[in-house]
Formats: sequence, structure tokens, C-alpha cells
Amino acid sequence: MGHRAGVNQRPFDEEARNWPASPHEAAKFFLDQLPGCEPVEGARAESERYSHGEDVPVLLAPQMLEGEALRAVHVADPRTVRGESGFAGFLDGTQDVRVVNHVYGVPIVWGVVSAAIRARINKRLVSWNSRAPIVKRNYYLPFRYVNGMRDALKSHPNVVDTGRASASGDFPSRHPAALMEAAIKRVQIDRESIETVLAEEWCARETSALYVDGSITASKAVSTSPFAIGVVKTHRRLYAEGDAFRTLVGLRAGERTTMFRVSPQSRFPVASWYVRVRPAAGRDALFGLVRAEAAITGDISDRVTEISRWIIAEASPLSLPDGRWDKMAYGIRETEEFLRATS
Amino acid sequence: MTEPLGRVVATERKPNTPHEFHFWTSLESPVGIGTIVRVDGSHPIDGRIPHIYGIVVEGFSYTDLQSPMHDVLGHDGSPANAGFSATERAEIRLYSAAVLRQIPEEPLQPVPMGQVFLAGEEDVATALRMDAYLKEGAHTGIPIGVYRAGATDSVIWLDADFLLGPEAAHLNISGMSGLATKTSAVEWLLSSVFTHFPESKGSIAAVCFNVKGPDLCYLDQPAVRLEDSDRALYEKMKVEPAPFKQVQYFAPYNAKGYSLNTLRSNEALTHNVTPLTWGLREVLQYAEVLLNKDDLDAKADALIDFISERVVGCRMERDGPLSRDHSVESFADLEAWFRDLLQGMEAKNQDSWRTHHIATIRKVRNRLINISTRCAGLVTNSGDVSDLPFGSFEDRAVYVVDVASLEEDAQDLIFARIVSRLREHLERRDLGVKHLIVFVDELNKYAPNDTQDTYVRKMLLDISERGRYLGLVLFSAQQFRSQVHRRVVGNSGTAIYGRMDGDELATPGYAVLSPAVRTKLATLEKGQLMVRHPHFTQPIFVRFPRPAVLSGREGAEKFPQAVEVGLAAALYRSLHELDPGVTMGWVKDMIDLYDEHELIDARNVTTLMKPANVRAFFQSRLKKIIPSETVSAGTRPAALKPLPVGDPYGS
Repeated sequence: MGHRAGVNQRPFDEEARNWPASPHEAAKFFLDQLPGCEPVEGARAESERYSHGEDVPVLLAPQMLEGEALRAVHVADPRTVRGESGFAGFLDGTQDVRVVNHVYGVPIVWGVVSAAIRARINKRLVSWNSRAPIVKRNYYLPFRYVNGMRDALKSHPNVVDTGRASASGDFPSRHPAALMEAAIKRVQIDRESIETVLAEEWCARETSALYVDGSITASKAVSTSPFAIGVVKTHRRLYAEGDAFRTLVGLRAGERTTMFRVSPQSRFPVASWYVRVRPAAGRDALFGLVRAEAAITGDISDRVTEISRWIIAEASPLSLPDGRWDKMAYGIRETEEFLRATS
Repeated sequence: MTEPLGRVVATERKPNTPHEFHFWTSLESPVGIGTIVRVDGSHPIDGRIPHIYGIVVEGFSYTDLQSPMHDVLGHDGSPANAGFSATERAEIRLYSAAVLRQIPEEPLQPVPMGQVFLAGEEDVATALRMDAYLKEGAHTGIPIGVYRAGATDSVIWLDADFLLGPEAAHLNISGMSGLATKTSAVEWLLSSVFTHFPESKGSIAAVCFNVKGPDLCYLDQPAVRLEDSDRALYEKMKVEPAPFKQVQYFAPYNAKGYSLNTLRSNEALTHNVTPLTWGLREVLQYAEVLLNKDDLDAKADALIDFISERVVGCRMERDGPLSRDHSVESFADLEAWFRDLLQGMEAKNQDSWRTHHIATIRKVRNRLINISTRCAGLVTNSGDVSDLPFGSFEDRAVYVVDVASLEEDAQDLIFARIVSRLREHLERRDLGVKHLIVFVDELNKYAPNDTQDTYVRKMLLDISERGRYLGLVLFSAQQFRSQVHRRVVGNSGTAIYGRMDGDELATPGYAVLSPAVRTKLATLEKGQLMVRHPHFTQPIFVRFPRPAVLSGREGAEKFPQAVEVGLAAALYRSLHELDPGVTMGWVKDMIDLYDEHELIDARNVTTLMKPANVRAFFQSRLKKIIPSETVSAGTRPAALKPLPVGDPYGS
């Protein structure tokens, strides 16, 4: 359809005051801003279609921090540790990615990222310090492949260029799938950045532990704080090779592995270990398996078992009907629902 | 500004409408079924922010749990583990509220999204449209109770124009027996009406029929105990926590006629108990009440009319089968008249008399004479009448007619005649008061919906349909509203519900109430009521105080019923109260001289007339006894003359 004849482009400043809040508004807004733009009917969430495409599952040898080899350590019977969690808050973020328009085959991506901390008070989860969640609503598009964009739109902080050259100087392909992956990667970065903001704020202000959904290696402040514990549910990278792998898949419910060091490229090192929070008998090898991350502090050896007990305790209540219920803490599910309702 | 306690929500599957909306609250909110709330809309309509008032009629609670099985799995099947979870599941309190009022009232729109507040006192008055009749200078409010929710303590007022006429009228109370609903509510409401009924609307009194136990027998006695909470309610509603100041009791005698047939027979309380006795003339007017449809065919009806008009109170001269003149004033006279007539007809082999067939005469005789037996104690053979003070009813007085211990027929007769008389006087505007409340309990018995038409039911229907124009207001009560004639309860502008039986609540009449409201009705505590009133678009739950009068049970303990006494003691008790000079010895002398029925009749008249000289009056009502004279020697008649000697006729 393109830009509708007879409809004048509305001044950007005026529109900026009413930044779109929904995919429908986002589509309509961009139609008014860009000649040749066409709407995508029934824009659907695209994260799942394109996520993890770049991650190849790998096995890595762990750099042990506790002992010489990865071994199982009994922590507690999952049935006896309930209610013994020391986590005072849960941090999670969400993202929603949709193609709302396209210009000559170039997808105009509308991404909403949000993050929040839910503090636990008297067993109930509430917004931490009555703070509203951080929500960002951005357009993601490669400027170099879109003609006719006004400067005001290009310089808007909520319009992200996904067509920039990488560190090696390569520009993304014009292939729509490649452009989508680039957009989604930027959305993930944006999500992580707002999660990091919240996590850093927690570590600066609180003196109790925060359950962070995912890795804590993105921020130096967080990765070195004793008050942030990352819990990773996905295992594209398994820190276990050879005998260590057998030890890992043989972990029983209520057991952890010994600690090892994790230091991803361009990130900050942390201590890490695996915990099996649910029995995996009759299930796949990774059922109920999470990887914990904590700062490499002097007392981490003393705390690792206690933190593991907390993680096991968070297995109740069950986070069904979420498909990741075997690994997901209820507090994280609640935070996700909170973000879904508010962003 | 107060904190909002909830937010309106609506979804496509559960949308808001102009008459219903949904809102959620925090888990700690004081909202419950029956709570009145106010919604402040977010966007103005015609320049005005809409305010919507609603009452909570349904509540929902759920968590994010998709299946109960998930909870079982989450706790390894052990309920004991459930309490130890580090986190409680996210939980919602979702309420549905029925709209009471929207401001502005036009355009009537679905309830908008907005914040929900607990209704304060002013909000409650607005929501229930009480503001229309609580205006300064035109205040016609009668407090029925206090609505409580959170910190709100708001008096709920009924509109006198809609409770006592002329706009609407009548009150019906439903509730389980023994749970301080019906009698207590009426006692409280009468106090409230007597206190707050506007002077400008004239005088008001109440006639209460005590149909069971001692419920209404101690209205002039203070309650044994009133809690501070009750006193606070009285104070809040500006009603004095005191028994009724003017109460008069009426009860017929028992079958023997010795004493009054009432539980209020303790000597300390008999000062305001008046006998209720009627003669032939009074009963005959309401013979229809005591005769069933089979008895009352056209022929019998015609004969009864004839007797009423041409026999009772008239002099019937010897004529045809009648062997002597008759003056029929009492049941005894009527029986003598019937006997004479039938004997004469038999002797002359007559089939009919003045077009009335002998069989009809026999049937009517049987039924009418039977009345004095069935209503013994109420109906006097002598024809003396002791009645309610028709024509001189006093303002704010309660007249209790105790029929609790009477046979059903006698109860019906009393009810029919008294209500008819009240109606007649109100029509003529000469009752003594302008408005009269008639309280009848056990409406299931008097106006059932599943039996043939009775005189009493017709009368109740008549009051409920036309009474308000006369100032005759029916306060009725029953256990099962569903079993009362629809027009009687339907015409009650105001309805009160106490704790209800589950079976009763399952009947179609309660289908308009939400399941939650029905559940609340089934579990109401003592002192709580649900009120429907023409101004309220939805029923409201209120609390009312314990009546400030002695309850029936406590009264029966404090003032035990006088023991059944013999004739001498009964006469002594009645006459001694009128004249302390009456002694038991004097009474016994009377008993030695006169027949029992004669003494009782004399006692009844004396009690009724309250003469200055009790003994002389009493004796004047007894047949004269000619004292025997002693023959002295000096006055002996002269001896007969001796026969002449040689008298040829001498023996």
C-alpha cells in the first residue's frame, strides 16, 4: 500500500509526544513517517523464530575453583528445604519483537523490552521499592537500506540502526532473515542493558540476595557483588567434558557440582556451578538442571551450598504452566507475568 | 482524599454493563459481599466526571495456577509441604458489583474504568437515593439499621412515605425461627418508627397479634441486658433504648373462663391486660370466618343474614312454631330460640319456616352454637363485649392482642374482626390515630399460597393492596416467604430478610440474588438483616440493635405465668384488683350462693365496667335470691274452725 495518497506526513515532534504503545500503533506511526512503507497485517511475535539461531551447543572444559574435577555434592533433600530461601528479590526481563512494517523487503521491527525486580515481602512478591518496571519501546531497522528517513527519525533515541558495521567492518546482509537476526540481537542487548541497570541498582542499595534470571557476567558491579546470584536455565554451553559430563548428567535432585570459573569473552568472570532442583528420572538429561553464577568472593566456598539450598527451595511453588517449569523459579515466572501485564 | 481500594476491570469475556461492573482489590481490603463502593470515572462525560455507586454481589479469588494438579505436583502431594513455600502464589480478589446509582444518571452508560473507593456516609446516602428524603425540612427517614464496611458506619434510612404510605407501604420479614430476626426486628423497627415518624404526618399506633409463645408479651418491660454495641447503635440512630411507654394487652379468657388465656398472667403485669370478649352480635358478623365453604351455601348464608338482621337484638314474638316470645342477645338466647323453633316445626310437621328449610335451620344452628364452644373464653353467652379501644387509639401506643394460646378458629375470628373494625374506623377517620401498623407473624399460616381462599387471607390481601390509602399498614412475618401468597408479599414495599434456610433460598423467588448474596443470607448472624426498599435498587445488609424490651424467653423466666387457679381464686384475683376490700371469704360466700357461669359473667362485666362499688355492682349482676323467712309462733295462722256437730258433709 505504501504511503497513503492524500495523507500528509505529520511532524515528527508532534508524534514523538505520543510514542506508540502497541504494535498496532507502531505500524500506524511508521506509515505516517516513511514513504513507501507498507504495513504487515497481524504482526506476530518473532523472537522464538529467530532466537538462538547463532548459538551452537558446545561442551567446554570447566576451570575448577573447587577441587580438581567436577563432582557431585549433596546439598539437601528438595523436600526438606522449602521455605529456606534467602533470596529477597527476583530480576527478570522480557522482550517482544514484531515486524510491523516493511519497506521494499526491509523489515521494520518493533521491539519492546522490559525488566523489573519483584521483592519478596511476607512471602508475597511486590514491586521493589514501588518502582515501575523499565520499559523501552524501540524501532529496529537498518538505516542504510531504508531510503527517505528524515533526520529527526534517525536521531530519535528510540529508533535503532541495525545496519551498522560489525567490529570486523562487515555490514549485515540485506537478506530479510539476516536483518531480522540483527534486530533481535539488538533487542536482546537492550533487554540485557536494562536488566543490568536494575541489578546494579540492587547491588548498590540492598544487602540481601537477588535472584537474577540469566547470567550476571554482563556487568562488573553485578558480577562482583555478593548480592546477585545468576541462575541460567539454558545450556547451549555446558561446562562439562568427558567424566565431568557424566557427573553432570548424573546429578540427582538436591545435588550440586563443585564450582568452576566462567569468564565469557568481553564479559566478567564469575564462579559457577550446576544444581539439580528436580529429579530427572525418566526425563531428559538437563531436566531440572540450572547453572548458578555468583561473584568470586572470598567466602564463596562457604556460601555455595547455602545458595544452592536457596535455589532448590525456589522450586516451589511450581511455575507451571510455563514450559520451562522444571528450571524456572516461581518468582521469575511471576515477574514475567508482571512484565507481560504492564509492558 | 481517601486511598482507592480497587480498580475497575473489564475484559471481553467479562465486560462491564450499565448495571454491573467488576473490580479487583488487594488481599487485605475490607471489601466483602454487601459492601457499597464508589467508582470515580477517569474521563468526563458532558463535562462531569461520572461517579458510579455499586454494591458487591459476588466475589472471586484465584491464583495463577492453571490446574489444581500443578499445586499437587509442586508440593509432592503433601499438603504439609505447601505451607513452607518461600513464595505465595499471585492471588486475586475480584468482585462483581451491582450498580446502585450512576451520577450523572443520563446518558446511562456501561461503568467506565476507574478507581474504586469504599463508600463513605455521604456516598451511601447518595447511592441509596436517601438524599431525596433526608433533606432538612422534609426529613421522612426511619432508621432501619446501620450499614458497616471498613471504617464506614452509616445509618440506613427507610422513607416513611414508602414504608407507611401513601406512596408505597407494608413490610414483610422472612427468616428462620429462633434467630432473633422477625420479632426482634419488628420490635426494633416499631421503636424506630415511633421515634422518627414525622410529626407532620400525624399520629401512629400499632396493633400486634401475638400468635406464638410469649414473644410480644413484655413490650413494656426493659431488656435484661443491652450490650454497649447495641447502645451505640441506638445512639447512632437516635432512638432511645427503652421499652414502649404505652402498651395495652388484650386476651380472651380460657375455656373455663376463670382467667385470661395469656402468658402475661403474672400478677405484676396484669394491670394493663384487658379481657377480650365478644357477644353473639359481634361474632355473627364474622360467622363467615368460622364456617367453611361447605357450610356456607346460599341457603345457610341467607338464614344467617336473617338471624343477624331480624332475630339478634330484636324481639321475636310468639308466632307459628315459636311457642313464646324471644329476645335474642346472647348465644344462650339464640340456642333457646333455635330449640323452640325446631320443636314447634316438628310438632306442626313443618318443612320450612319463612322459606328456610328445617335442614338448613338445623345445620346453621349446629354451626353457630358450635362457635361458642370452639371459641370458648372469647365468645360470651351473656353477650357482654370487651374490646380494643376503637375510636380512642393513642398516638405511639402498642396494642397487643394475645392469641397465642387460642384455637385456630378463635385466632381467625379475632384477627378478622379486629382488622375489619380497624379498617372501618380508619375509613371514617375516627380510630384515634391517623396511621396504624398491624403486625402479623406466621403469614405462612394465615396467607398461604397453596390452600383455598380463606376469609383471613382475603383480608390480608385487601390490606396489602388497599390499606395504604387508609393508613392501615401491614407488617408481616413468616419463615418461608415462598409459601406466602404472592400478592401479600409482592405488595410489601419493604422487605427484610434474616438468616434464611437453604431450601427456601433455592426457590425461584430468590433467583434474582447472586449465589454469594444467597450464601450470605444463609449465614447471617443475629442482628443482621438484608433490606429491600423501593428507593434501593439492590438489597442492603444492615445491623440493628437488640430490642430494648424484655424478650419472650427472658420475660417468661422473670415473670412466670400464674398457676391455674380455681374459681374462688380467679374471682378473688380479678375483683381484688379492682377493690382491695374484696376478701376471699366474701368470694366464697358468693360461690356458695350462685352458679359458676353466673359468677363468671358477673365478674366479666365488673372487670369491664370497673365500677366504683365493685361488690355492689358484682352482686347486682347476679339473680336476686329471695331470702327465706322464719315463721314465728306469734304469727301462726289461726286454727281452722272445728266442724259443726252433725254436719252431714263431715267425714
